[in-house]
Amino acid sequence: MICEQYQELISDYIDGLLELGEQTMVERHLGDCEPCRAVRDDLLQIVHFSHQLPEQAPSTALWSRIQNELAKEQPAGTSARLKLWWVRLRAQNFNLSLPQLAASAAALTIILSIGMIVFRHDSTTPPINEAGMAGAVTNLSKVDMDELEQQINRLSESIEQKKSEWNPELRATYERNLIYVNQSLAECRHQVKDNPADDAAQELMLNAYREKVRLLEGFESF
Amino acid sequence: MMSLSNKSLNQHLPGMAILVMLSCLALFALPATAEPTTRFEHIYTPRGTAHLTIANVNGTIHVSAWDKRTILVRANTAPAVEITEREVGDDILIAVKRSFRVGRADFEINIPADTYLTLKNLMGDIDVQNVTGPISIDSIDSNVRLIGLNSPTVDVKVTSGDILFDGNLHDNGSYSMLAVKGDLDITVPESTPFNLHARTLSGTINLGSFISNLVSGSREPKNISGSYLKGGPQLSLTAYAGRILLHKK
Repeated sequence: MICEQYQELISDYIDGLLELGEQTMVERHLGDCEPCRAVRDDLLQIVHFSHQLPEQAPSTALWSRIQNELAKEQPAGTSARLKLWWVRLRAQNFNLSLPQLAASAAALTIILSIGMIVFRHDSTTPPINEAGMAGAVTNLSKVDMDELEQQINRLSESIEQKKSEWNPELRATYERNLIYVNQSLAECRHQVKDNPADDAAQELMLNAYREKVRLLEGFESF
Repeated sequence: MMSLSNKSLNQHLPGMAILVMLSCLALFALPATAEPTTRFEHIYTPRGTAHLTIANVNGTIHVSAWDKRTILVRANTAPAVEITEREVGDDILIAVKRSFRVGRADFEINIPADTYLTLKNLMGDIDVQNVTGPISIDSIDSNVRLIGLNSPTVDVKVTSGDILFDGNLHDNGSYSMLAVKGDLDITVPESTPFNLHARTLSGTINLGSFISNLVSGSREPKNISGSYLKGGPQLSLTAYAGRILLHKK
């Protein structure tokens, strides 16, 4: 891969969104390439400054305007297409022999049975929570997770307010280690989402959260 | 027959050579960094077994055991660095004051072997040798080397950096090492029994020849647990993005 290709990956690398193999490749390249390191540092600066921007809340009338525009575009078209489809279906002449009829009935029975089995399974599976991890928080205490996330948000905000006064070495150390922790946390969430019943994955994720808190607490007092 | 200029050059050559040598010596004798350093040095005399806590920010911490009952703490620090001390009975706390300037402080410490040791750092390697007391290390960006240890408990957490442990395990001891990004390299005697729990997120686990005598609870590539020989000390190794390596002494 050439530098241009690596530079396209740097943004996702910073956000902890790369797969492990890509992440290793990017890190290796950054170790050897000064221009790409400069791009990374610039992006980190942009992320840092964008966090400092004040939030802009859209006006309450905005959603109403969007909704009205969408409503104008759709209804006639959609209902007209549905009517046409029904008319065409009724116009079809279905002539089935007895074996064909039996096969259709058997296929329909199988489909309905599978559907019932799936429905039963879904109804016993706990609902997906806001973090998108189906059932993952049944073993991990949700209270623990919420407390950790609140702690992380509070510490992160405090650090973002002070970070601009730090010397470059301290800031670079913080940002580099934050990337490492966020990458591990993203990977943990991925694993827990794929294997919600895996206790080892959940324990790793909980410890990753705790490591993030430890990192933030380490820098918060500056 | 030599010309006049060659003759005068030959006469002055030894003197010039000496001058060049002295200049070179003077250059090498200059400190590597232009920044001046200050020296901190203090001796503590605990009455019993001491609990020593070192809280550094930027710099190395080297601790080694000696056969005296006193604790000697020395540090070379940047001028802006302020070190605070607090001594309450046998509890000793030495901390570098936190400031956004983050000057460097490198510690050299000699302690009685049975001292309870707590080391905290942000940036800078940590090295502990020949200690027999409990150890707790909490750092962000550090390589940690623990050599010649015979401690009942070891608890090490680093965000980035390698952890090297070469020591003995106590029968009911607890040894926990965690690195978010870095390798865990553990060397213990072949005859030491232990209960192992090794986990990695995206790295690898290599138990070497210990694997053949490991009675397993779990043998997944990134999650191995089990008892070696008859079990006993708890060895908990976690490396999120790094290798876990186990060697026999």
